[in-house]
Order: sequence, then structure tokens, then C-alpha cells
Amino acid sequence: MLLTRRSALLSAAAVSTFAAGGARAAETMKIGVVSPLTGPVAEPGRIQLNSIRIAAEKINAAGGVLGQQIELIVEDDQSTNPGAVLAFSRLAERKEIVGFVGSIRSTQMNAMAPDMLKVGKPVMFGGTDPTLTKLGNPWLFRCRPNDGYSGRVIVSFITGSMKLKKVALIHSTDAFGTGGKNAILANLEKMGLAPVLVQGYTNNQPDFSPVVLAVKSSGADVIVSYFTNEPDCAVFARQLRQLGVRTPWVGSPSIQSPVTRGLAKNALYGTYAVADFVEDSNPTAKAFADAYRAKHKESPDSGWTYDALTILAKGINDAKSTEPQKIRAAILAIKKFPGTEGEYNFDQFGDGLHGYNIVINNNDKIDYKEHIEFTD
Amino acid sequence: MNDFLQLVFQGLGIGAIYALVSLGFVLLIRAASVVNFGQGEFSMLGAYLLVVFFNLWGIPYLIGMVLSVIIMAGFGLIFAYCTYWPLRFRGGLPVIISTIGASIFLQNMVLFLYGPSSVPVDDLFDTPGIQIGEVFLASQYLAIIVIAALLVGLQYFIFEKTLLGKKLQATSQDKEMASLLGIPVVLMIMITFAYSSALGGLAGMLVAPILFVSVNMAGIITLKAFAANIIGGYGSIPGAILGGLALGVAETLGAAYISVPYKDAFAFLMLLAFLMVRPQGLFGEKISEKA
Amino acid sequence: MTALQGPVLQGPGANPWRGLPAAGLAIVVVIAAASIAPAQGYYLNILMQAATYAIGVLGLVVVLGYCGQISIAQAAFFGLGAYAVALGTVDFHINFFVALFIGVVISGVCGLVLGLGTLRLGGHYLGMITISFQQILTLVLTNWIDFTHGPDGVRNVPRPNVFGVSLEDGRAYLGLILVAAVLVTLFVWRLKASRLGRAMQAVRDNELAASTSGINVYGTKVVAFGISAVLGAIGGGLFSGGFRYISPDQFSFGDSIVMLTMALLGGATSPFGALVGTVVLVLLPEWLRFLKQIYLAVYGASVILIMVFLPDGLWGFVDARTRKRVTTITGAVPPLPLLAQKGEATDEAVLVVADLAKHFGGLKAVDGVNLTVRRGTVHALIGPNGSGKTTFINVVTGLYEATGGKITFVGQDITTLAPHRRNRAGLARTYQNIRVFRGMTVLENVMIGAERQGNDVAHDPKAVVLRALAALDFVEMRGDAHRLVGDLSYGHQRYVEIARALASSPHTLLLDEPAAGLNLTEKVELGNLLKRLKGHGLTIMIIDHDMKLVESVADHITVLNFGKRIADGTPQDVLSHPDVIAAYLGEPRNEAA
Repeated sequence: MLLTRRSALLSAAAVSTFAAGGARAAETMKIGVVSPLTGPVAEPGRIQLNSIRIAAEKINAAGGVLGQQIELIVEDDQSTNPGAVLAFSRLAERKEIVGFVGSIRSTQMNAMAPDMLKVGKPVMFGGTDPTLTKLGNPWLFRCRPNDGYSGRVIVSFITGSMKLKKVALIHSTDAFGTGGKNAILANLEKMGLAPVLVQGYTNNQPDFSPVVLAVKSSGADVIVSYFTNEPDCAVFARQLRQLGVRTPWVGSPSIQSPVTRGLAKNALYGTYAVADFVEDSNPTAKAFADAYRAKHKESPDSGWTYDALTILAKGINDAKSTEPQKIRAAILAIKKFPGTEGEYNFDQFGDGLHGYNIVINNNDKIDYKEHIEFTD
Repeated sequence: MNDFLQLVFQGLGIGAIYALVSLGFVLLIRAASVVNFGQGEFSMLGAYLLVVFFNLWGIPYLIGMVLSVIIMAGFGLIFAYCTYWPLRFRGGLPVIISTIGASIFLQNMVLFLYGPSSVPVDDLFDTPGIQIGEVFLASQYLAIIVIAALLVGLQYFIFEKTLLGKKLQATSQDKEMASLLGIPVVLMIMITFAYSSALGGLAGMLVAPILFVSVNMAGIITLKAFAANIIGGYGSIPGAILGGLALGVAETLGAAYISVPYKDAFAFLMLLAFLMVRPQGLFGEKISEKA
Repeated sequence: MTALQGPVLQGPGANPWRGLPAAGLAIVVVIAAASIAPAQGYYLNILMQAATYAIGVLGLVVVLGYCGQISIAQAAFFGLGAYAVALGTVDFHINFFVALFIGVVISGVCGLVLGLGTLRLGGHYLGMITISFQQILTLVLTNWIDFTHGPDGVRNVPRPNVFGVSLEDGRAYLGLILVAAVLVTLFVWRLKASRLGRAMQAVRDNELAASTSGINVYGTKVVAFGISAVLGAIGGGLFSGGFRYISPDQFSFGDSIVMLTMALLGGATSPFGALVGTVVLVLLPEWLRFLKQIYLAVYGASVILIMVFLPDGLWGFVDARTRKRVTTITGAVPPLPLLAQKGEATDEAVLVVADLAKHFGGLKAVDGVNLTVRRGTVHALIGPNGSGKTTFINVVTGLYEATGGKITFVGQDITTLAPHRRNRAGLARTYQNIRVFRGMTVLENVMIGAERQGNDVAHDPKAVVLRALAALDFVEMRGDAHRLVGDLSYGHQRYVEIARALASSPHTLLLDEPAAGLNLTEKVELGNLLKRLKGHGLTIMIIDHDMKLVESVADHITVLNFGKRIADGTPQDVLSHPDVIAAYLGEPRNEAA
């Protein structure tokens, strides 16, 4: 079954290359995109889709991929896991698609991963659960730093730049928060440290006073947080300040998002966050953000889908083929490639990024502080 | 000890919110025997109206609140006309389900119009709160507790001391008998829907500065208010208030001293325990049926 | 006696082979269809989702459609099944079907415990408790990371082998799911026409009448809820193997609401409705794609519209318009064995009520009443409005708990028995405001009476049909056997109610104002019916205002006023009793002749 499909695909690829070479025909290079068009995360989905379209326009303006123009085939994942599986299976049926851009949500990636393995074509994705690239699935390529790195960067920043040791760790008990917690614990342990407080909470809480009081009485000198939902983060921040806690705070990206800052206002001033996308952190990000602003009259808060398509296109161009194995080899060979999220150096697992930016909220202005990169 | 007092205060604040939402439930259960799954959406719509009036149009805060309450009362009538009226002779179940449908509809229309992001709203008062020793009393929580107390008083006055209240009570106790006595039962039920909606909207506006305004802001609160309603005694007004307060304090203390992640479970475990052991709740009458 | 042919035996539930050929055919068709389905990809996923959800929704048909109890936790039971299979196979390496069985047992036990705790109370309590159960389960699945894998979920759920054949291939597994769906559909469809299914529907339509027709209302509800939990777990377990990846957010409150909507949209009272509703709602997101963001708003609005305009769902709507006229059941049936309980009017006391009292707070509705009903007599209980007659009957039949006194029926103390136990002892009644099972046919209504536990025919489905027909013959309503009771005139509904009581071969029949609401002709007919019953020697206790009716049939009259017995004796004695005359003249009324 697998064999016949692959050989069919090979011949299809051969035909299309021939056609493209022959007449620069209207034949396009099709890339499948799974994105939330509806449901609770439709809003970030819209920004991700805008970003990937900017990448496609840039690539097409520069001559496309293997002489063909890129065409994006977008399927709605309805912001749910079953929706993602259905969306991907619709894309998977279209044999002419050469590669995919997957989801930013790790649980959706987990849900789609078995089908992705079966289809056997490269999938660029943004979910940050570290285990995703360790599943033995060779087709997953991550275009954001995984949570292992966010945890490592936070611990490195706390113990290095801040010189603090007594950590109070607050995390959501969902997939994202639990992954983050595990990364922090593992990295603290490497430094021979143990947190003074580890406190999980369930999303959508109206009141965080028990957590705040626990932080207060724990004697922590720094708070580390993985909040999933912006209102939770804002409620916590406001109660933290109301109850007089001024402990320094380093958080996951959500604490510097425009929505959270709008809700929490001055309660978040002076806090640090790790951020994968920071406009001022590198020239590629700056150029992308300018292009985005020129087109959509707002600033982007993420650039991974832009990177995903750029790298997939580069992989196909480098491989000079749409044969999945060759694309895979070409992507894994990408080193020192400047993306909006940082410098891509793909490792054997398919992780492209190995570091994070640290930013600080200076009276509602997000300033780039430093970039921490790891080479191992 | 200070921590304990602080937790009790927070619990009472949250509990007062549950109590307010629960009060809206109780009235509809009493007057029309309707369990309204759209009660949380009343709160959500009220809060969005305040956002529109105050944040977007710049209408003064208190005037915005009054306008929102009036509009919500009107909305309650529309709600009743769509979900309750056509099904009023078909028993409780169809009405329950159509209120579920209304809840899905309203949430998604608001999602479509205003998007999924939360919106902040200013506190009712400029001062953030009062510091008493180590305990901080946030002004918005104080406002909620006071307003909840005032509303309970008002409700008691209306129900027990006015003719309108007597008519409403008669309607809730026995519709047939009430109509025989010349009470306009339909009008009474409509008034209850309007009042319940206005009350829900007011609760939404009061919690908006704490929880922010979003489509899902009322989801978990509505479920807790349901629980409070049963714990206090199904259909009992003092039960709704005390059930709400008890639930708020119990879950805040439970979160602090037992487990934060399972905080939401305390409410539902309390509910299960009450249903199994004392289904009439704290204040309910013993359940019996009419032949 | 003529041997009965064909049509009679096709009364509901009497044919053990009913539906089997169709189900066999359906299994062949679905296996054939599965074998030509795509081996993977979108359509396979859609089909698996629809088929497994359908099994869960069929559970809702039982609890909601048949039994009328609202459950908002079907996704939780679905999730229990799914997690049992996923964790059992992936972490504990046990056989797929063993894991599925464990899931079913756990889910069933949860359902029984929740049901036992709440179903004694009114309908909305189950709704509340299922919401709580749903929320707690989601919290546990998310937070008990060591056991459930937490929010990450469980991946690579294996598919089973059946008879050594691996179902790893998507089409083979789809075949398994579809066969399961067909079998569950068959089960739910046949359940509807079974004794248990009729009991559920009776509970749904009228709990009080069900309880005084010998149905254990509480037990029936618990069983219905248990069945729905079990079916939910079966669907979930199969879903787990189909999707191969599960996480807590797939079994949330929202999913329970979706399942509820599926059942209602299709028509909760029929398994086919559940299938239609599930398929439509799985496909609807695809069809409504063009609506984008407002898709769910349209969905919510359509729930309301369905409730208002299609109360019986899509299937109910189609079914009502395409239903063929059922041929009338012909052929003679054995007559009602009224004589079985009879003797000539004797001195034997059937129902002895001693010092019976019922107080509502300070109000003494029944206050120390003594009364004896003797076998083969018609005993009338009269009194002005509010004198406590109906309360008396409600206490005797167990709807109200007695405040004091003792009730002995056929030598057995029934003072504290539940209503259905009293009915099983042979005490049948009708109601002043007719209480029939409006959603069921005339025949089914009467069959409920015939199959009361303790009746001589109760354990033979064919004999139950025959007995029910005999009762209908007695009230001359056989021609309407297949009509819905709700469609009949008031007077005819009254006859159905009486036939239901007669079919249960009661020792004593309590008639609570049978003439209420009847027109003049109907009253005359009723009088004739009562005389016929009297002629057959049935023991009857009748309450009525219509003195002509009472005088024409009663052997013995007891008069109540303000909850106390003011007279008792033969009609001549009682009706000339000065207190009785005073009581009636004190309250002028038309009926009092």
C-alpha cells in the first residue's frame, strides 16, 4: 500500500517537474495548512494565516519553488483535536500536496501525528511539547523553540542574570502548563536547585488568592509561571499586586501578549517573559513585522508560520525534488538560517530552534533584553 | 490567621457572585418552573453592554450600568418569547433544552461580533481597596457583597410586602389557582423573566472588572451558581444566597488548604454530597409531588 | 376459542425474531460498505466518528427518549470507555475487548451510583448531578497525570484482533464499529417494544400513573440511566481505537451538549432518530463551512427551532408522515377473566381502612376514617368538594404517606408499601384528571396494565397482548388499538385508562371521579360500563359527584366531610341521613341531584 502510493507520488512529481520545466505552466506547488479558522483560537489563527501568506508572496515573488508558484491549501481545525485530525485527513487525501504546516497546539499535533507518520511527508509545526519530535516520527519539524528550551532559558536567566534561587512555580494543569512545569523542574534539578513552591491550577479561575497567599508564604525570591489563558494570568497578576507581593516574575510568553497586558495593566510592569518572537531581536523579524504592518495595519505577535513556509520552501529548493525523503534530508541540513524566531540549526530530531529571547515589560512597552541560545 | 481571614473574604466575594447569579435562577424556577441554562449568558450580555456603553461610547459608568440593566430586562422578555413561550405547555425538558440552545446561540453570536479576546472594564470605584492589617479588602468585592445584600433586601421587600410580590408568589406556587384568582399569570412570568435577566446582567457587570469580559466569562460561575442553588435548597431565596456564600468560602479554603487544581471539584463534590444526603438542601422544603 | 393468527402476534414485543432479519441484512451491508471505504483519511475518520458517537447517542435515546430523564454527561461515560480502552491497552497491555469490558463495567457502576443517588428526586436533579459528574471527570482526567497521562492524552491506541484477524486496517476496524452500531441499534429498537421499554416510556409520560400501574418508577429510571452509561462507554471504547489518540478535552461538557443535541435533533424517542441526528451533526460542520464563525450560533438557534417546530426531531417528523396505517387486529381473544377474582357479594373484606389520617401541616385532609370494602361490591365514596375523597384514594394507593392509621388489602398490611407494590398486590386505580401515557399507543397503554407483576399473564408476551385486546374489547376500543392515546378524545382516554386497570386483573378497582369532564352521552355510556363491571362481580370503589351514577351502581356508600366520615351504609340509609343532606345542601351544586 505504502509502496504503491509512494511510486505513484514519485511519478506524479516527475510529471509536474517536467511540466514546470517545459512551459512554466499554471501548475502550482501545493502546501497543506491546518489552521483554526473557527472556534476559540480563531484569532491567533488569523494572524498565523496572514503570516504564512506573506511568506508565500515573498517566495513566489522570488520565483517560487522549483520554478512553481506556491499555493496554500488551508483546512479549518475548528480549534479542537478531532477537528484537527479531520482537517489533516482531508489534506492527506490530496496526493499533490508536497508538505504541510501543522498546528501551534501540541495536543492537536499529538492527535494528528499518527496520520502524519502514515502520509510520510514533511510537516512544519509550532507546538512546543518537547516530546513531539522524540516520537520516532521523522516527518515533524519544529519552527518554534520547544518548552524544554523555555524552561532552560528561564532557569538560566534566573540563576545567571538575576542571581536568584528560590523559585515559586505556578502553572496551568493543561498540556502546555504541565510541559512547562516539567521543563523547569528538570533544569532546576540540573542546577542542583529545588523550587520552594510548585502550584498547579485549572484554567478559567475567577480567584487566585489561595495561590497568591501560597506564594507569599513560600519565601520565594522569584516567580516562574506558565499561564495558558490570558485572563487567568491577568487575574493572578492583579491579585498578586493587591495582596502586596512584589517578587520578581519571569513567565511564559503569554504574560507579555498584548491581551494580557491590556487586562492586567500596571500589575505586569517590570515582569520578564520568554518570547520566541520579538520584533527587535533580529533583522529578519524586523523586516517581517514591517511587511506585516504594511499589509494588515497591526503588529504580528508570532512569526513561526512565516518561518515554517520559508524553511519548507528552502528545503524543497535545496533538495531540488519534491521527494519527501530528500526534502527531509535537506531540511535537517539547514544550519545558521536566519528566521523571524531566531537562527535555525536543525538537529537530528527536527528541532530547528534552540534558544529563546527574554523580554521585559517596561510600563507596557515590551523591550528586548537578551537572547539565550544553547548549542547542545 | 491573616491568611485565613483573607481567604474568607475572597471566598465571600466570590460567593456573593455565585449568590447573585443563583438568585436569577431561583426566581425563574419559582415563577415558571424553568431551569434556565442561559442564565450565564444574561451575565455575559450585561457585561458586554457595559463594555459598549462605557469603553466604546464613553457613556458615564453608572449611567451605562443603568442603561444595561434596562436593556437586559427587555432582553429577558425576548428570551422568554423565544425559548419559553412556544414550549410552555410541553413540560420542563423541552424548555431546558431550548435554553441550552439559546445559550449556544448567544455565546457564538457574541464571539462572532466581539471575538474571543477578553476585554478589561474599570472597577466601580477608583480606590483599589481597603487595607486592614494584613488583610486587603478589594473594593470591587466589597461592592459585590454590599449590592448582593441590598438586592436580597429589595427582593424580600418586593416579595413579602408588595401586591406585585404576592401575585408573583401566588403564580409560582400554583399557576391554576393564581389564574382563577384573577392574577395575570402570563404577565407575572414575563416580569420574572425580565427581572431575572436584569439581575443576571447586573451580576455580569459587577464581576466584569474582576474576571474581565469574554464570551466564556460566566460559564463556570453559572455552573457553580447552579450548585449553590441546590446546596442552599432548590428554589429557595435565602438558600441561594447562603448556598452561594458557603460554596465560595468552602472552595477558596479548600483550594488553599487541600488542592488548587481540584478547586472546581469541591463545589461539585459538595453538590453530590448534598444530593445524596440532603437533597432538599440547607433551606429547601421536603420534596413531594402533587397527585 | 379461535386460534389467533398473524397480526395479533405482531403486537409489539411479542415476536422474538422481530428485527433480526433486517439487522442481519444491515450487518452484511455495513461490512460491504466498510470494505469499499477508504482505508484511511478524512472519510474514514468521519465514518468512525459518526458510528461511535451514534452508539453513545443511542444511550441517550434510552435515558432521555424512552425514560424522559435528562442526562448531561454522556460524553463523560463515552470518555470512561475511551480511557479504559486506551489506558488498558497502552499502559497495562491487556486485551482490547477486556479493556472495553472493564470500561463498560466502570461506566455502568458510575451510572448506577449516580442514578441511585438522585433519581428518587425530580427530573432536573439528574441533570444537575450529571453536570457535576462531567466536570469532576474532566478535572480528574486532566489532573491525575500519573494515571491518565493528563492533558497530553493517550496516543497510539491499538486496534484489536477478532478471531485471529487483525483489525489494524482502517476498513476492517470500521467494519467492527459499524456492526456494533447495528447491534446496539437493534437492541435499543427492541428495547422500546419490550416490557422494560414500555415501563420506561410510561415513566416518561406519567410517573404517577406508572407507579400505580405496578411500575417501579425509581428502579426503571436507574436501569435506563445505567443502560445509557453502558452504551456511552461502548461507543467511547470503540472511538478510542478508531481515533487512536484521546485527550480529556474530547470528552468535555460541550461534547455532552453536542450528544444531547444529536439525540434531540434526530428524534430522541427512536434509535433511528439518534442515527439520523448523529450523522447530520457530524456532517453539519462540513456543510455549514461557508458560515464560518457563526456556524455554532446557527447550531444553537436550530436547537431552539427544532424544539419548537419539530418536537419529535427529524426522524419523528418523517416517521409521522410516512407511517403506514396499521391494519386492525382481528380475531377473537379470550375474554377478561373478571370472574377470576369474583365471588358473589360476600362478607369477605378486601380493603380495610382503619383510622386513616393524612395531615398537610395543620390541615387535616383525612382525619381518622374507617371503611371496609367487601368483595364483589361497588362501594361509593362521596362528599362535597374538599372533603378529602381524592386525598383518601391517594393515601390508599400510596401516592401520599399516611399520617396515621392502617390499610389492609386482601389480608396484607399495605400501609407503608410503595405505590407499585400496592398495584402488584391487585389494587388498580384511575384518576380524576386522566393520567394515560400520551406518547404511547392505546394497545401499549393497556399492555402496561396487563403485564403488571403478579398478573397471571405477565410473563408471556403473547398472552399480554391478548389480555390487553380483551380489555379493549370490554370498553369497545379495539379499533383504536394502534392510535396514540394523546390523539383520542377525552372520553376515549378515560376508557383507555379504565381498560389499563382492567387488564391488570385487579382485586379492587378505585375510580376517582370517572364521570368528570364527560359529556352527557359519555356519562350514560360510562354508567352502562360500570353496570357491566358490577355484573361481572368486580370489586369497585368509586368516587363521584354524580348522584344518579352513584345511586345506580353503589351497594354501599361512605360519606366524607372535612376529612371525617359522617355516614356509612346502604344507599337508602345514607342518602336520607340528615348530616349528609346538610353537607350537600350547605354547598349548593349542580351535580348533587
